[in-house]
Amino acid sequence: MAISLELLKNLLRRRATIMYPDERRALPESSRGRLVFVRDLCVGCGLCWRACPSAAIEPIKDEKGLRPVFYIDKCTFCYLCVEVCPRKAIKGSSEQASVVSDKSELVVK
Amino acid sequence: MIVLEPLLRFVQALAYLLYTLLLALLLEWFDRKLIAKFQNRVGPHYTGPAGILQPLADVLKLLSKESVVPEGTDRLMFTLSPLLAFTIICTATAFVPLLGYRGLVSLEGDVILVLALLTLYLLVIYTAGASSSSRFSLIGATRAALMLLGFEIPLMLSCLSVAASSGSFRISEIAAKAQPRLLGIHALGFLVYLVAAQAELDRQPFDIPEAETEIVSGWLVEYSGWRLAIFRLSKDIELVLLTGLAVALFIGGGPNVPLQGFELAIATPVFLIKQLLVVFILSLIRASFGRLRIDQFIGVGWRALIPASFLYLVIAALVA
Amino acid sequence: MSIYLPIGPQHPVHPEAVQLKLKVEGEEVVDADVDVSFVHRGIEKVLETKTYVQGLFLAERICGICNVAHTTCYAINVERLAGVEVPRRALYLRLVVEELARMHSHMLWLSLLAHVIGFDSLFMLAQRDRELVLDLMEEITGGRVITSYNVIGGVRRNVDAALAQKIISTLDGLRKRVLEYKRLLGEDAILRARTEDVGYLSSSKAVELSAVGPVARASGVPYDVRECDPYLIHDEVPFNVVVYNTCDVWGRAMVRIDEVLESIEMIRYALERLPEGDVRAKVPLLIKPPPGESVARVEAPRGELIHYVRSDGSERPVRYKVRTPTLANLAALVEMLKTGRKDRPVYVADVPVIFASIDPCICCAARVLLIDEKRGSVKEVGMDEVVRGE
Repeated sequence: MAISLELLKNLLRRRATIMYPDERRALPESSRGRLVFVRDLCVGCGLCWRACPSAAIEPIKDEKGLRPVFYIDKCTFCYLCVEVCPRKAIKGSSEQASVVSDKSELVVK
Repeated sequence: MIVLEPLLRFVQALAYLLYTLLLALLLEWFDRKLIAKFQNRVGPHYTGPAGILQPLADVLKLLSKESVVPEGTDRLMFTLSPLLAFTIICTATAFVPLLGYRGLVSLEGDVILVLALLTLYLLVIYTAGASSSSRFSLIGATRAALMLLGFEIPLMLSCLSVAASSGSFRISEIAAKAQPRLLGIHALGFLVYLVAAQAELDRQPFDIPEAETEIVSGWLVEYSGWRLAIFRLSKDIELVLLTGLAVALFIGGGPNVPLQGFELAIATPVFLIKQLLVVFILSLIRASFGRLRIDQFIGVGWRALIPASFLYLVIAALVA
Repeated sequence: MSIYLPIGPQHPVHPEAVQLKLKVEGEEVVDADVDVSFVHRGIEKVLETKTYVQGLFLAERICGICNVAHTTCYAINVERLAGVEVPRRALYLRLVVEELARMHSHMLWLSLLAHVIGFDSLFMLAQRDRELVLDLMEEITGGRVITSYNVIGGVRRNVDAALAQKIISTLDGLRKRVLEYKRLLGEDAILRARTEDVGYLSSSKAVELSAVGPVARASGVPYDVRECDPYLIHDEVPFNVVVYNTCDVWGRAMVRIDEVLESIEMIRYALERLPEGDVRAKVPLLIKPPPGESVARVEAPRGELIHYVRSDGSERPVRYKVRTPTLANLAALVEMLKTGRKDRPVYVADVPVIFASIDPCICCAARVLLIDEKRGSVKEVGMDEVVRGE
């Protein structure tokens, strides 16, 4: 019965559960989430897709030249690409790549 | 006229059965919600207000799934065991005064009959586990049968002693006396009864036959679909039965005032509230402890429970 | 009449797929064996195809819970190989995150032990308090469990004074909770009944079978890599090596709880004395260490973790070998499952408790075992053989 007093006290305390999705935990800014890409800063150097350990970045050519496309479903959020980009065109955010119904939402263009 | 009497009795029985099932689901919800609150959690939440329909949802879900009978199982006993278990437990609950002042049936000496039915229930659990083809279920069934050594004598002695000291062996009569037999020596009897009931119900700290982390649901492991639904319902009704017995024998039934016709409306809620109190105590015990090993449980049974129940028997007989 | 009872590879008590093959007579275990081949992922092979910087993130995922230990070990290993000097502030921060990881790993273990015993209330409460540590990890590193904090050359993010203060005050609150769990371990009758005299491993056997970590320290073997081979600034931060002599599961539980309390003190000491400076040394992206070998040892939450690397001068390693603590404890596990203590056999009900007490991380353990066919024994690879590259 060593824990019983604690259990009875818990009846008076508020629940520790966060009722997701009606309530959500406030994520700290430092949380490593979905990548954000600023096209105008990119020069197509190719460092990011060479650095990525999970091969989640692929180069494509668009009207302004060579640029990366990020596949968030393969991304491990290691942020090597964020570190390596010389123009700081890739940024992190604290948005968690949550469940999606359409796989194209997991591609950052 | 001749046909009307049995028809009336049949409808009464059906209504009682329905009430028992509803009560079983309610008590399961109460137990789950309480344990969740003890652990700072929420418990059932989505189905119905405060999740009260969750046990019903669980039963319906199980009924909608396939009941797999693995190869190598004794098909007859595998199917018969849940049906037998359900029948036995419902029969035993018929003697407890859940609705009004008397149960569906009331016989002289029905305390002894209910206790005998409980032992028979455990025998059915053994056949359920033994008829499954899994090693784990055999170990679980053996453990369930072994547990009998530990809790059966205390359960029986505590019930019979309190019945004897109140002067009758009819459950409804003992309940109708409405005298709480909780003070003095009867406190010991109540304690022994609670511990033995917790062991009978296979709840922590005595959920040895169904230890999920050791033998994966033990004797229940091969059951699925409607067979599992009936077993789960039987276990919930067993909770109703044992808490009902606790209230009827130790705490006393509804208020002992002549109510002429309003008995059903007043006595039933009072009985229910007292039952919920007993469930509160059992849930607190369940949440506070881990699981004993079978040899440790037999040790506790033979070294503490059985001597305590004998002591209670002797003193209750001398005093009353 | 004994029956063969397989616990696994799918079983509610196993966090990962592993098979405990038991020979059981009634409730007593007469023989035992372990099969860990189910979670082999070929990580050592893949590490040969990644550059050193990329390989860090793969090594991190050898184990989810011990990821800080793996990255620390990998980073130290490659830094030794390449001769990279890590700034002192980075060493302190590495220690802080490593000890935080140890804390949340041990609290997870405590809740798992409670769950295995059937004590779900302690399971829920310990997990609730573990959330405090995970939230701290997220503030510091950006991830709750997988931290991606260590890099070759230092750490990635700095900890400012406000965050350091928050860490210290959260840990003060956590300390009270952990002391409460310690009291429970000492007082709760059923916890003691299920863990005392269970899983007996004598000191001599622990040394003979090369048990590491809390398993060895609960059997009276005072072996802690942080003390005998300090790899970060462990020689500057004072701490006690927690040793118990009870040689049973209860001892291992007490060792882990006391280590949590020690970690809280270490973190506070380190945060109060954070030196100024950089947190990261400049290291080229395609780092090409000179040809050679290096071995690094780290005290992971589960015990001694060894990484070995061999380089030929290119940007990819030639061979990378990982010896995890769970692998070292497996021989001790089999011994514990087979032999009881004096007149007390091992019961089926004890098996999950014993298995949980070595803090099994099977995804760490499914590496390569050297099996000596001639002598018919499974040989644990010794330090000198690791260095020789066998």
